[in-house]
Amino acid sequence: MTPMPVDPDFSSRIIMLLTTFVLVVQLMMVTQRTLVGNIHLFAVQSLLLCGVAGTIAWVHQATHVYFVLALMLVGKVIALPLFLIKLVRRIKINEELKPMFNSPVGMLLCGGFALLGHVVARPFAGRSPLINSTFGIAIALVLMGLFLMINRRTAINQVLALLCAENGLFLAAISLTTFGMPLVVELGIFFDLFVAVMVLGILVFRIRETFASIDVERLNQLKG
Amino acid sequence: MESMALPLLYLAFLSYMLGILAGAICVNKGQIGAVLTFGAAALGGGFGLLAAISFLGAHNLPTLNAELLPLSLPNVGLTIRLDSLSAFFTLIISVVGLALSIYSVGYARDFAMRKSVGVMGSLFNALLLATSIVFLADNAFSFVFVWEIMAAVSYLLISFEHEDSETRRAGIVFFVMSHIGTGCLILGFLLLFQASGSYSFSSFHNIGMSMASGPRDAAFLLFVIGFGVKAGIVPFHIWLPVAHPVAPSNVSALLSGVIIKTGIYGLTRVCFDFLGEPPLWWGVVILVMGTISALIGVLYALMEHDLKRLLAYHSIENIGIIWMGLGAALIFLTTHHPVLAALALIAGLYHTLNHAIFKALLFLGAGAVLHSTGLRNMEEMGGLVKRMPRTALYFLIGSVAISALPPLNGFVSEWLTYQALLQGFNATPSLARLLFPIGAALLALTGALAAACFVKAFAITFLAQPRSARAAQAHEVSKTMLAGMGMLSALCFGLGLFPAQFVAIFDSLTLQLTGCAISGQIGSDTVILSGLGENAETLAPLGIGIAAICLLPIPLALWWWFGRGAERRVGPTWDCGLRELTPRMEYTATGFSKPLRIIFRGIFRPHRALSSSFEFSRYFATTIRFETRVEETFEKRFYRPMQRLILVGSRRMRALQAGSLQAYLIYIFVTFLILLVVCL
Amino acid sequence: MTSPLLDIALQIAMTLVMAPLMSSIIRNWKAKLQNRRGSPPWQVYLDIAKFLRKDMVISEHASWVFASAPYVVFLTSLVAALMVPMIGVEAPLGMFGGALAFIGLLALGRFFLALGGLDPGSAFGGMGSSREMTLSSVAEPALMLSIFTLAIAAGSTSLSVMVHHAASQDWPLLNSVNLLAFAALFIVLLAETGRVPIDNPATHLELTMIHEAMIIEYSGRYLALLELGASIKQFALMSLVINLFFPHGLAVGEGSSVPLAVGALLVKLLFLAGVIVLVETVNAKLRLFRVPNLLAGAFVLAALALLSTFIFQ
Repeated sequence: MTPMPVDPDFSSRIIMLLTTFVLVVQLMMVTQRTLVGNIHLFAVQSLLLCGVAGTIAWVHQATHVYFVLALMLVGKVIALPLFLIKLVRRIKINEELKPMFNSPVGMLLCGGFALLGHVVARPFAGRSPLINSTFGIAIALVLMGLFLMINRRTAINQVLALLCAENGLFLAAISLTTFGMPLVVELGIFFDLFVAVMVLGILVFRIRETFASIDVERLNQLKG
Repeated sequence: MESMALPLLYLAFLSYMLGILAGAICVNKGQIGAVLTFGAAALGGGFGLLAAISFLGAHNLPTLNAELLPLSLPNVGLTIRLDSLSAFFTLIISVVGLALSIYSVGYARDFAMRKSVGVMGSLFNALLLATSIVFLADNAFSFVFVWEIMAAVSYLLISFEHEDSETRRAGIVFFVMSHIGTGCLILGFLLLFQASGSYSFSSFHNIGMSMASGPRDAAFLLFVIGFGVKAGIVPFHIWLPVAHPVAPSNVSALLSGVIIKTGIYGLTRVCFDFLGEPPLWWGVVILVMGTISALIGVLYALMEHDLKRLLAYHSIENIGIIWMGLGAALIFLTTHHPVLAALALIAGLYHTLNHAIFKALLFLGAGAVLHSTGLRNMEEMGGLVKRMPRTALYFLIGSVAISALPPLNGFVSEWLTYQALLQGFNATPSLARLLFPIGAALLALTGALAAACFVKAFAITFLAQPRSARAAQAHEVSKTMLAGMGMLSALCFGLGLFPAQFVAIFDSLTLQLTGCAISGQIGSDTVILSGLGENAETLAPLGIGIAAICLLPIPLALWWWFGRGAERRVGPTWDCGLRELTPRMEYTATGFSKPLRIIFRGIFRPHRALSSSFEFSRYFATTIRFETRVEETFEKRFYRPMQRLILVGSRRMRALQAGSLQAYLIYIFVTFLILLVVCL
Repeated sequence: MTSPLLDIALQIAMTLVMAPLMSSIIRNWKAKLQNRRGSPPWQVYLDIAKFLRKDMVISEHASWVFASAPYVVFLTSLVAALMVPMIGVEAPLGMFGGALAFIGLLALGRFFLALGGLDPGSAFGGMGSSREMTLSSVAEPALMLSIFTLAIAAGSTSLSVMVHHAASQDWPLLNSVNLLAFAALFIVLLAETGRVPIDNPATHLELTMIHEAMIIEYSGRYLALLELGASIKQFALMSLVINLFFPHGLAVGEGSSVPLAVGALLVKLLFLAGVIVLVETVNAKLRLFRVPNLLAGAFVLAALALLSTFIFQ
């Protein structure tokens, strides 16, 4: 890769736009009711994050970020969504479960999380233009991921929400240290996540077989 | 000119007193009593108006002081003081009082058969007199004194038709809430007295700066509660929609238009004159309370089908809008932007005047409908535009004004509020600045909901077919009643079309309270009102109106060019092939607001019950009964538990009330002993 | 730009000519996209001329309010259109009011239209009025918040200043504040002009309709005025949105040519119309009570735009 002179203003503009889209996709996930739609949105979000990572890698000529990027592209944009969609097909989920909060309330809460993320990120502002624009959004993404987990009651949705929260962590990592977390840490998280999704996937399948539903509320029937 | 204001005020007071006397003399004289008492009140209003104008018109007059009753006691004399804030509120009460009095001459005929018009006129004058002095009182003692007289007379007027149990209950609710408020006010004034050592308002000026922050904040909160109760701000509003509708309509107009503004006056006086430079959270509290009030008020108004209760809820909304202006002004004082503070204060006070005018107008319209049909429930009205055309026109003008639509006055003051909120974002540090755009968005929601509500109020009341026999037999009301409404309608136009000239009267007021006069910046000799700054949006309602009139030839020309030969026929409304469209098939007020009830069900938590009976299958019901009701959340969740708590507490306390004289003597003696010990 | 009167006359002429054209073209393109032949792109002119020629039937229950509504709707839309900068940065009636007056005027037209819907006592009209007022109330906060966010950046709610501010940036839309505000305003635009996910301008006598239900009792020249007023309102809103975010081609400064600016406006409007057509074609009309969710989404987008003014300073 030959180093190319990149206008930092231009690149930060691109990152800004991409992170905005990431946020909007996250909001759409809060309102999206169908599972498959949600999985698609997750793939789009991951792709956008790849774009952010790619821009950072390009600007700073950080080769190992390219490596993480490739991993992300293969894992989160292609493999995991495919796996989840297959799972959804296999267990034939066609129920639309009502979320805990209806979508206007959910969206307004997410707006609040965006504000909160910004407030929390403010002490870190000013270190670099990158942190200014992305760290707050990264925290907001984590919060929204956790909120999604609370808001939805199907196990697969909760897996998806966990993945979204991890996307937020990823954004935080690449924005805080500019060159990404040490590769080993990133790899470790990624591997953990992969195993977790697999395990949860099998679990979901079992839950479905036992209760004929994937509503986690029903798990309380397990207690003696 | 300077010397004219006080003598004119005295003349106004004299007229009111003559009105009280005349009413007392003509207790049983029917229409003569009405003419005499309300004539006197109109005279008083006229003199008051002249006094206010002569004071506000001459710029930067010094404050005028006078002693009404020479008691020669320290601190407790009944002294008055006319400064620009007082003069502005005198202007409000006088102009509204004048129109109401003219209207009342005709309206009182309604009561002539069954009630003493003289008593009503007498009380009406007393209320005007007491409220005028509230605006002018110069020390805390006389302020609280006339404040209580005002409350007592209001109570008497609210329960004027005391034969009705609803009215009696409303009177009691009003009385209790009013006293909670007054209690807070007395405590607040005592805190100020502690710092200044005098009760006079001039000694209170900026007294907050010499107080410790604890008592100062406490005083602020006490005044917010005290004046908030009177103004009807959420959550202290529950008495307002109960009490205002049951009064005779001219009194409702006075209560909703002017009396609740004493709360605004008090808050402005205390926050801008007495307490000195505020901390940031004061302004935030007022702004947030205002925003919530505006929204809650209009939402509950939408659910209301009693025309007068609907209007009462809109008072809560508009008080909220006024508080938004005042809150923004306080925040600007904290952040040292006196020019912006002046703008926000003008927005709030302009809206105070506008609300007094259009709310009085609307209550008078509702009163005319009540007078003519005996109805308050909108679901039984309809078709009145053909039977009461002038009343309908005036009510429509009021509706457009209160919905903040150009080019009438409601729009102008909300426009000023928006301008203040816009500037607030960049003028405020930290996260508090977010309040301004969010407040503006919610104000927009409020305005749009108000428009929806008044489409409902006007259309269900006045348009389409009459829904009951009483509505079908309605007739236009008398000339005096129309004159009163016409005068207020004209003012809606005047204050809407010529705001740029009008803002000049705020100059001495903002100079006194925020330290700068800005009419030169926002107003002008032309008709164009401007925001602050050279880039700001400019507004010329008159220009908009003239432009619209100038463009009128376009549709007329189109018609002339293409459709000269076209006929205009009158036919039945399309009825989907039914035989006839009956009034029962018309859209109802409940139906109209149903989508909003569903959307905001999280706030309303409507009660609904559906029961049906059937013989063969439930798809062929023989009778269906559906009931839906929206209860006040605050009343249910806050006031009722509170009430229960107090009742339980009182039951416990009853043990003390042994009923024997000895026991009471022992209480007194023990208290005396304890006090002695404590003091030693 | 020589005299203000000429400006006004030019903008009036442009509005009256281009507004029905936009409505027709959207209709035509939508048909094309759905594999229909569609009506010609000048159909709305013919419709309006036809309505003007026809006899009128007025309901026997209607009053003067019913008769005044078409005039109020037409005049408020036209005056509002004159407040939008279309050719240059300065709007012809920009002195008389900016964004707030614009919103207020449209609200005034809607107020009278809703009254007109209720006046003849038909349940259809009442239903339309009720829904129109409900949805416009829910759309209002999103509209105001996005306008406010743009106004904060520009320092004023004057439309001329806001457009000027946009023109001073090279690509306003490549900025997350503007992007989010645009998304919010676009949804509001769909709601205000009664476009597909919210209302269906093509249906008649369906229980789903809103605007068409309100004007069901109107006929003849009143209907013509209402149709023309509705298309002027749509034209004004579209021009406003397009000029706030794509100020390219506006006649700014000396030596700029007016015909070029008019041409640029037309091209930009056609582009926006294309987007609207796409949205209308790929979406189905939402259930009435799903619409508030969409508008709440617009509000949150506007709120994020506001937040972005902090985050991306």
